[in-house]
Amino acid sequence: MFFRMVKGALLRQKAKMAMIAFTVALGASLATAMINVMLDAGDKVNRELKTYGANINVIPKGASLLNDIYGVGEGSGVSDKYLKESELGNIKTIFWAFNIVDFAPYLETPAKLKNGSAINLAGTWFSHHLELPTGESLDTGMISMKKWWDVQGQWLSDGDTDELMAGTAFARQNNLKIGDRIDIISVNKTYSFKVKGIFNSGSQEDLRAYVPLAKAQEMSGRNGLVSRVEVSALTTPDNELSRRAAQNPNSLSIKEWETWYCTAYVSAICYQIDEVMTDSVSKPIRQVAQSEGAILEKTELLMLLITILSLAGAALGISNLVTASVMERSSEIGLLKAMGAYDIHISLLVLTEIAITGMIGAAAGYFAGIGFAQIIGRSVFDSAINIKPAVIPLVAFLVFVVIIAGSIPAIRFLLALKPAEVLHGR
Amino acid sequence: MKMKRYAFYLKMVTSSLIRRRSRMFVALLAVAVGATILSGLITIYYDIPRQMGKEFRSYGANLIFIPSEDKSYMDADSLKKAVSYLSPDDIVGVTPYRYKTVKINEQPFMAAGADLAQAAKTSPFWYVSGRWPQKEGEALIGQEVADIIRLNAGSQFFITGMTANNKPFKRGFTVSGIVQTGGSEEAFIFMSLADFENMAGGDNAIDIAECSVSVSAAELDRVSKIINENVEGVTARPVKRISESEGTVLKKLQSLVYLVTVVILLLTMICVATTMMAAVAERRREIGLKKALGATNAAIVAEFIGEDVFLGIFGGLLGAAFGFVFAQAVSINVFARSITFQPLLAPITVFASIIITAAACFIPVRRAAEIDPAIVLRGE
Repeated sequence: MFFRMVKGALLRQKAKMAMIAFTVALGASLATAMINVMLDAGDKVNRELKTYGANINVIPKGASLLNDIYGVGEGSGVSDKYLKESELGNIKTIFWAFNIVDFAPYLETPAKLKNGSAINLAGTWFSHHLELPTGESLDTGMISMKKWWDVQGQWLSDGDTDELMAGTAFARQNNLKIGDRIDIISVNKTYSFKVKGIFNSGSQEDLRAYVPLAKAQEMSGRNGLVSRVEVSALTTPDNELSRRAAQNPNSLSIKEWETWYCTAYVSAICYQIDEVMTDSVSKPIRQVAQSEGAILEKTELLMLLITILSLAGAALGISNLVTASVMERSSEIGLLKAMGAYDIHISLLVLTEIAITGMIGAAAGYFAGIGFAQIIGRSVFDSAINIKPAVIPLVAFLVFVVIIAGSIPAIRFLLALKPAEVLHGR
Repeated sequence: MKMKRYAFYLKMVTSSLIRRRSRMFVALLAVAVGATILSGLITIYYDIPRQMGKEFRSYGANLIFIPSEDKSYMDADSLKKAVSYLSPDDIVGVTPYRYKTVKINEQPFMAAGADLAQAAKTSPFWYVSGRWPQKEGEALIGQEVADIIRLNAGSQFFITGMTANNKPFKRGFTVSGIVQTGGSEEAFIFMSLADFENMAGGDNAIDIAECSVSVSAAELDRVSKIINENVEGVTARPVKRISESEGTVLKKLQSLVYLVTVVILLLTMICVATTMMAAVAERRREIGLKKALGATNAAIVAEFIGEDVFLGIFGGLLGAAFGFVFAQAVSINVFARSITFQPLLAPITVFASIIITAAACFIPVRRAAEIDPAIVLRGE
């Protein structure tokens, strides 16, 4: 009997119930879209922030950046240490391998021009295809690391053997244009290069010229060696634990150490890179690593607050409508009461009707919400939003609570009705 | 006669609102929530570039001043002149630096004199263990320097070298803190400009100045061009990596909030509209009675629209106020800064609420008005 009544009520008031279902669907789709976008926005923005370039610098143990500062370079005993090219793939096998976005090795090569003036020449990967021991493969290198570079002409490819890329300052000093040739002397041999591209990086790199890594190794006679690696990794903002760990990982208790090791702190990723590269020291580039953390935190908080606002809006909208639509059924309820229905029966009847309608609406809304989330993801980040199944129970719970909460004032109103008055037509 | 009709119309609208207090309250609430979301989100949307722009300054300097090509240093006055081309509100910090190669224990190091209070602003990413120098004779040393000569916070060391006039000097310093940056700064020794001048001589000469300004990349390019043309001896150069990337990321963030705003607004408006439709639908009996008494369809539609305009005005005003409160709360929680009130937004919110409520009622009222009063009144 109960279910026949529910079914009857649902079918009789098709239009009204459809409206409730529609509103619930809207609210649910809003909740689904916002929660999904919110959960994924941090990750997406983090990837965007990678345009700031590498946040970790890997150098051989003992070598320092003296070359950059004093021009104390090759042969002085401090920077004659190297990393092995064959070990570079290991960077993609660490615990946080998934968080390593890109990396590029560099080999500084001693070189001078015909007139004897020394130049900054380095070999690197431009877009290098790498087969990993795990069976995966990836493409990485400068082209994806230095997205902000303004390149005239073309990027090099790793197969080019007699072409180079010059920085704007380098090109100006040597009067070079795209297509020009330049002779470079390295270890008593002369090589001739054609300028394939000129880049403007707006930094010290403009004074340099780049050739493919293999060519630089051949010129300097350092086969299979690189002098440093820049790594771009997705990291978690630093906290007290990671700061202590960065100073000395051994000072942590075993439990703290595990937490630290298994969180994508920049210091933990550095530590893991040191484990897989022989004699290496990884250093976070604080300018990039720290700022990323700050911006990420702000973005996530902002999205969270917007989500809360939209959820509150959706909740009020739904409960308003539920209240309004339950209240108008006063004459029907009055009749039931006159026939001797108990309050509990009436409440259950109304709640069941609303809950069934609501759940149908919520299911439709969930799928619409996924659609909205994907529209946002596609148009803002050019990539799909990662849909998390955990959102389903969350949305279902929210909708349920909102519907019940919205029905309570209406049910109280219905229970207080006097059947005689209602049926009389007041 | 005309006056009387207006008075009667107003009386009908207001008494209808007052008589059905609780229902109208529900409708008002719906409109107010919609308006709150509208005004709150739009305020946030407009404020994001400004607020986030400030956050992005944690990447450090996005503009540097260097001496023009024919000079080896710039003087403090021309730097001041160059800085005056930037709007003071946008400047986060300007740090002049002087560099000199010095020796500690006969090993070469680079000493840098800087306005340290400003350096803390232009380079907020520096991680200092210990503290920044506060007194005369204190220095901040890079991690690498500390490793090489084994210094800790509190240790003493002596710097030797040649002054600008080629006279040898020797001065003692106390380490106040050790700085980690992951960059070349770790190989420097930082001290205040006054200490640097006392030590190495040479007044008002600046090698380089870092500047952190919260403006867009295009604006930065424009200002640098003006400075390069008008200030002699100083070349302004935007730091491309910082300014360009900031532009890309900010644009993405803003379009994210924009899309989210549009989606939320759309859904909220539909929510408001369905609530209003439900409110009209339950008044069919009243409409029927009025028609039976001789009201024209137009008169009925006009009455309902009138009620909705009232709802729209009050809901919109409430929403504009709450929306600002909400945007303010978000801004203070997220960015720890307050936002400016956009006066234009209040009338826009009210206007939008009126349009939405009126449009939401128009269709159901029209349909209700076309119904035969006899059927409605009989209770079908």
